[in-house]
Parts: sequence; structure tokens; C-alpha cells
Amino acid sequence: MAALLLRRLRDLVLILLIVGTMMFFVVRLMPGDPAMAILGPTARPQDVEALRQSMGLTGSLWNQYLSWLGNVVQGDFGTSITYHASVIPVVAEHFLPTLTLAVISTAVSFVVAVVVTFWNAVAPRNPVAALLTRLSGLGMAIPDFWIALILVLVFAVTLRWFPSSGYVSILSDPAAAAPTLVLPVICLVIGQSALFILTLRESVLGELPQTYLRTARVKGLSERQVMLGHVLPNALMPLVTQLGSNFAMMMGGIVIIESIFVIPGLGSLLLGAVFTRDFPLVQGVTLFVALMFVLVNLLVDLSYALLDPKVRVS
Amino acid sequence: MTPTAQMSVPVSGRAASPLARALRRNRLLSAATALLVLIVLAVVILPPFLPDANATDPVHRLLPPSADHLLGTDSYGRDVFSRLVSGGRTSLGLSALITVCAAFTGMVIGLVSGFYRAVDAVVMRIMDAWMSFPAIILAMALAIGLGASIWTELIALTVLFTPFTARVIRSRVLSVAARQYIGAARVSGMRPAKILVVHVLPNVLPLALVQVVILSASAMLVDGAMSFLGMGIAPPTPTWGNMIAEGRSYLVQAPWLIVVPGLAIMACVLLLNLIGSSMRDVVDPRARALGDLQRLRARGAAR
Repeated sequence: MAALLLRRLRDLVLILLIVGTMMFFVVRLMPGDPAMAILGPTARPQDVEALRQSMGLTGSLWNQYLSWLGNVVQGDFGTSITYHASVIPVVAEHFLPTLTLAVISTAVSFVVAVVVTFWNAVAPRNPVAALLTRLSGLGMAIPDFWIALILVLVFAVTLRWFPSSGYVSILSDPAAAAPTLVLPVICLVIGQSALFILTLRESVLGELPQTYLRTARVKGLSERQVMLGHVLPNALMPLVTQLGSNFAMMMGGIVIIESIFVIPGLGSLLLGAVFTRDFPLVQGVTLFVALMFVLVNLLVDLSYALLDPKVRVS
Repeated sequence: MTPTAQMSVPVSGRAASPLARALRRNRLLSAATALLVLIVLAVVILPPFLPDANATDPVHRLLPPSADHLLGTDSYGRDVFSRLVSGGRTSLGLSALITVCAAFTGMVIGLVSGFYRAVDAVVMRIMDAWMSFPAIILAMALAIGLGASIWTELIALTVLFTPFTARVIRSRVLSVAARQYIGAARVSGMRPAKILVVHVLPNVLPLALVQVVILSASAMLVDGAMSFLGMGIAPPTPTWGNMIAEGRSYLVQAPWLIVVPGLAIMACVLLLNLIGSSMRDVVDPRARALGDLQRLRARGAAR
């Protein structure tokens, strides 16, 4: 367990270093000079030069990189150009909306997948359950940006059931936040639950030939008891991994859904930062996203080790 | 047969007898392939017979579907059906190109790192780091860094999809390399590079082909998403993604502008997924678990 933890921490540092380095250079490939962008075309050259100096954009690329790395290690991610504020608080401000979306949609997808799959397993002849299971292939194929627009058209514009934008923090006013979350969450749940259903069904089918199920049936358990008491716990393992991996991916910013529904999360923050050439913010957000991603995956691995004794040994 | 064994399976039926199963699987496979071929043929052959996809006609803008314009016209009065077809050319062509490139680079990396263990540790660590990062952000950064064009998108998405192929190919190479005839070839004094090409490569090729199909489904989704965000091929060249992005402003007046290209993406992705997973079951039943993980990653990339 300790060895696993150590190894993962080493990987964490390594991945952050790779991502940070890569983003540093990629960001500098972007056309456009941020100092010029801030001051406008009429600025005096000496002002531009002074600003470049203060933004750490002078000197050789290598020296820029080293000084940036030094600052990051000391916890200084620089100042956002568009927000005129230190990067860390800006990122922290945009964290909650993404977290809200990721948590709710993952939880809903998990419940949907478990209910649909086991309903289908316990009652294989039920047409609704079978249909829902079959739809999962379709769910995987729906582009999320497209279904988002369709949902806006149907439920926000035509039926006026839910707003198409207007984010409200779930912590400050849950009642007002709920309707604004419905459409984005549905968009995320469609693809995610389809994926979860496929995963869970694979692993349920993998469990069915196991002999312990015969034992369970022979000792007189009902099919429902066998499914929920014996198959479910074992079949959930692969889903936990996928769920964690997916959750980590979402913490990395739900770029498209956030931008369509105008939710001020990490995804729209990043998209905005990329379009406005806000170098420090792009780097800060990507590093934060990578950190979240690795941490969530680490937690998943640890929980896996806790759930499954076999993993602990290997 | 226990009731649970009859659980419905859309892609391949495990409950039916092997023969019926194979038949059904093949029927599905052949039907899906035929449909996809039809779509590809349509986008390749049709454009010369249709009105110019970029010919604007401001008088007849935002017309609903009619006999003159099968799928109506867009905000510039361009024929949506023409744009759909030539957009399909771009979207399908680009996705195919991306996946062929990604499958090729992934295959080379997978072959080398699966066969030469010294390289393996380093390369796979890098691939892991690569994969463990929200992919669309990578693609976005690359696309913005290099400027939006067809080549940028090709590079960005090739880079994005390479590790997935590399992983799958590598695991196959590992299992092939452990077989006896490889040992025999080594003992007989064959050079490792030659063994790799003569004995390992042919075993890996079918899997690489499957990878192309599976990845092209993901590539279609990611390509659509990137075009939608304005980071793919720029208008006026139509792609299904940027058609949706353009139609977004006319969501209420002209919903057909977004409905149609979205359905097109969906149909292609669905068909490619169907074909890919049936092919994978035939080529390598054990790759299932890995393939699902990969689908997850690629799917996550589209967010």
C-alpha cells in the first residue's frame, strides 16, 4: 500500500512536470504577443517592452522556462492578464461550477447504469429494460455539443421548462441552481451513462458463468438475491475504475457543455484564456487540471486497492 | 438456459448458439458496413451533381426544406444538402486520415516498445502521461498554437490518438513475442529487426485495422467538437462540426441547420462503433476490456 502510494506520487510529480513543460512551450507557439494585446496597437514600444519584462516574456526561451518553473515550484503561477489577479484565486473561483456538474452527472449516470443493467439482468424479457440497454450504443454516438443545442431548442426555447443559461452557485441558492443544472447534466449523463451501461454489462456478463452463482442458486436464493447480493458487488469493480477515470476527465473542464450553457467553470475559463492569449492563466488552469486529474485517479486506485484484496497483493 | 443469460446484447449475442450468433453478428456487421459504404460513396460521388456548396444566395436564406433545396438553405442562402455532402467529404476524409496516421504511428511505437524491452519503460511512461491528461485541452492548445488549419487538426488529433493505439498494439506484441516460434527464430540467428517485421508485424496488422475503425468513430466526435469550438477547419469550407456551429445562431428560425449535420455525425459514429466492435470480437476477443477503456478515454476526449 505504501509502495503503491509512493509510486503514484512519483508519477504525479512526473506528469505535472511533463504537462507543465509541454504547455509552457505550446503556449509560446501561439501567435500574438500578449503585451501588445493588452496595450493595443497604439502603445509606445518602451511600454510594451516594460510590460514584456514584467510578464517574464524577455530573455531566451530556456531562461523564461527556468524562471517560470522556479516560480511555479514556489507556488507562484503568475498574474492573469485578463482578470488582473493572481492565477490561483481565479482558478479557485471557477472550480465549483465544474465540480458541481461533474459530481451530479457522474452520480446520476452511475445510478442509471446500475438500475438499467440490473433491471435488464433480473428481468431479461422486460422490453423497456432491453430497449434502454440497447440505447446505450446510440448514447455513445451522440455528439454532446449537438444534443446540448437540441435540448436548448426543445426545453429552453420551445417548451420553456428550463433556462438555457444563467449559472447560480449551488451552495448559495440550491433551489435557484437546480433548474439551471438540469440541461447541462442531461447532456453529460447521456454519453456517460451509455458508457457506464456498456462497461457494467460487460462485467456482469463476465460474472454470470462463475460457479459461485450456481452455488448461490442451489442454496435457494432467488434470481434477484443472486443478482443484487452476488453479481453486483463483483461486477461493480470495473465500473468504479471507469467512473473515476471519467470523473477525472470531467474535472479537467467540461469545455463544450460549459461554453454552451455559459457556466463559469474551468472549461470556459480555459477556452476564454486560450482565445485572449492569457498565457499565465492557460498554464495555471492546465496545471491545475492535470493535478486534479492525477489526484482523482490516485484516489480511484487507492479505493480499488481497498475494495479488492487481489490488487493489494500484486 | 438461465433467465439472466438472455440479457439482451446489441452488438453480439452471447445467449444464442454459436452459429446463430455468428450469423447475426455478421448480418449486423455487413448491414452496418453496407450503410457506411453507401454514405462514403454518396459524399464522394454526389458533389459534382449538386449545387455549389459555397454559392451564396442572400435572397433565399434560411429556407425550410423543400423540393428545390432538399434540406433547406442556411444563413447565406447556401444549399444545406450540398454542404452536408461536401462537409461529409471533409469530416469523413479527415477522420480517416487522422486515424490512419494515428494507427500507423501507434503501431510503430507499439511494435518497438513491445519488442525492445529497454525502450518500453521510457516510451510507455510518456504515453501514460500523455493519456492521463484531458485530451481536448491538448488538441486545443496544439490547434491554437499552430493556427487552425486542416494540417494542424491532423497533427493535433494524430498526436492525441497515438497512445491509445500504441497501448493496444504493444499488449498484442507482448503476447506474440512470448510465443515459441519467435524464440525459435531468435535461436536460429535471425536479427531482431527482421523477426519484428516478418513474424510479429503480420500478427498485429489485423488489430491495427480494427484500431483504425474504432478510432475513426472517436475522431469523428472529437473533430466535430473541435470544429464546433472554431478550432478545426475554418468556414466557409463545410464540415459537420462547423455547420452545427454556424447554425447555432439560427437555432430557432432554422433548426434543420443543426439537426441534419448532427444526425450525420451520429449515424457515422454509430456505424463505425458497430463495425469496430464486431470486428474486434472476431480479431481478438480478449481485447474487449482494453478496447472499452480506450473508448472511454477517447470519448472523454470529446468533452
